[in-house]
Amino acid sequence: MRKVWISRLTAQKMIEVQNLTKQYGNFTAVNGITFEAQAGEIVGLLGPNGAGKTTTMRMLTGFMPPTSGTAKIAGFDIFDDSMEVRKRVGYLPERVPIYPDMTVRGYVDFWARLRGVKNSKSQVTQVLERVHLLDRQKTLVRNLSKGMRQRLGLAQALVHDPEVIILDEPTIGIDPQQVIEVRDSVRELGKKHTILFSTHILSEAEQVCDRVVIINKGQIIAEGTPANLRQKLQRGNSLYVQIVGANLAQATDMLSGVAGFESLTAQGEGYILRTRNSNDVRGQIAERVVQSGYRLVELRPVAMTLEDIFLDLVGRE
Amino acid sequence: MAGTSIIFRREVYQYFTTPVSYFIAAGFLLLTGLYFNGDVAYSITRKAINPALIPDFMATLMILFGPLLTMRMLAEEEREGTLELLLTAPASDAAIVIGKYLAAWFYYTLLLALTFSYQLIVVQISQPDLSHTFCAYIGIWLYGGATLAIGILFSSLTENQVVAAFMSLATLVFLYLGDIAGQIVANLDLARVIRQLSILGHYSTSFSYGLVRAEDVAYFAGIIVIMLFIAIRVVESHRWR
Ligand SMILES: Nc1ncnc2c1ncn2[C@@H]1O[C@H](COP(=O)(O)OP(=O)(O)OP(=O)(O)O)[C@@H](O)[C@H]1O
Ligand SMILES: [Mg+2]
Repeated sequence: MRKVWISRLTAQKMIEVQNLTKQYGNFTAVNGITFEAQAGEIVGLLGPNGAGKTTTMRMLTGFMPPTSGTAKIAGFDIFDDSMEVRKRVGYLPERVPIYPDMTVRGYVDFWARLRGVKNSKSQVTQVLERVHLLDRQKTLVRNLSKGMRQRLGLAQALVHDPEVIILDEPTIGIDPQQVIEVRDSVRELGKKHTILFSTHILSEAEQVCDRVVIINKGQIIAEGTPANLRQKLQRGNSLYVQIVGANLAQATDMLSGVAGFESLTAQGEGYILRTRNSNDVRGQIAERVVQSGYRLVELRPVAMTLEDIFLDLVGRE
Repeated sequence: MAGTSIIFRREVYQYFTTPVSYFIAAGFLLLTGLYFNGDVAYSITRKAINPALIPDFMATLMILFGPLLTMRMLAEEEREGTLELLLTAPASDAAIVIGKYLAAWFYYTLLLALTFSYQLIVVQISQPDLSHTFCAYIGIWLYGGATLAIGILFSSLTENQVVAAFMSLATLVFLYLGDIAGQIVANLDLARVIRQLSILGHYSTSFSYGLVRAEDVAYFAGIIVIMLFIAIRVVESHRWR
């Protein structure tokens, strides 16, 4: 109770995006998106390839100006107060930018100084420790593995202790062990910083983010907490049905009369039955199968994953 | 300007830590050394030593070394993606370009300073007109600065270092040969205009003889300012692509 009260008090909009639009020539990559992130929130920008995630982030970091619309970071306008915004943002671009000929330490130190960190030495040590690269501080960046480079990129984005951290697909192209590490560190960072995190992996957004903004073809198509989204978007029910000796055609024949029937698809040894509404149709199914002279060996509801919802949403557009 | 000195320091550090720049420096010293050696041997027996010997030779050499010293600077940033990060750091586009340019000029100044060793030898074996030498050095310092500015501009235009070097080399050769073109054009006025634009003419007809002319200083300063101005605009244009 007390905790909620305190967080309400300190709640502050760190990212405020209003009708942000970006056109490349005639092509609209980001089309009037509006969303916000409170201080200390981890917001996931989720979308398939070409959705406009990178473009959105590039506008928020002050790399490119929007065609129209506005956005504020920590209260500063990204266009009018670009320098103030840039001081407050840590950014890890999609492709980790490296200086191959610098040492790990030199690299992080350079970005620290450029962003005005005063006692860069201790800051750099701290951040290298945090991303587990301290023992590699004298290594040339060119000799780091891909996962290490990713962590180096993260170090660069954190070293000036920015209020807002923008990470563009930070888990792409690294092995599962390191993916978990990066996700963990993002969640850890979320305790102190506001994070905007892009991904096209739904389960990742679900695991890491407090709130997910789903974007497709430059537009926001859904938004909310992972649980919230599932509830809001899950239309109807899904049931797993296993019937001995019935092929898909026969099973469809049997079950298409179930109230609210939408589709039947094969999965494993059985089928997934989808209905349009959330009435319980288990009784009807059992009845129909038995009447048709087959044996029903399994019948259970399956929770629709966010993955399904996502594909469904993106497909529907 | 915020960031200029930090960019500058990183670039200087880069010159001192990458093997390529040592190769460039070695090539530079080898060529100037060979040239000096040949001329000294000749001078002892036939003629007095030219006080502007090394600067004169460098006027030709910098057509190649200007591009070599600068080709990496912005092309590599673009290729490695660090430009995106630089452009989102609290440093202006001008600070980025100027910081890099000053680093190149600084490194060039060091190379130039190394050639003072030749002058020490000359002083041992004859009595050169040192003020003449000094003037020539001022001239070649500015001249080199102009070639570096042209190199930076082309480095900003592409992400391929080789292409950058080639384009600036071609431009410099063109500016350099303008001097000869001026000599073979019959129309005097046209010849004068061509010579006014050529880079060599602003060194070889004044500094090389120990003269400092305001118009030549203005020419080199003008080239530097214009090239850097365009380079800054080109860097800025990355934001609009
Ligand atoms: N510089 C550009 N010029 C023209 N079109 C561009 C440019 N950058 C991006 N686009 C287009 O804008 C759209 C959105 O691109 P963006 O890179 O923002 O997508 P994304 O969501 O980051 O995708 P991904 O998951 O593949 O990284 C794409 O169709 C892309 O082709
Ligand atoms: Mg992207």
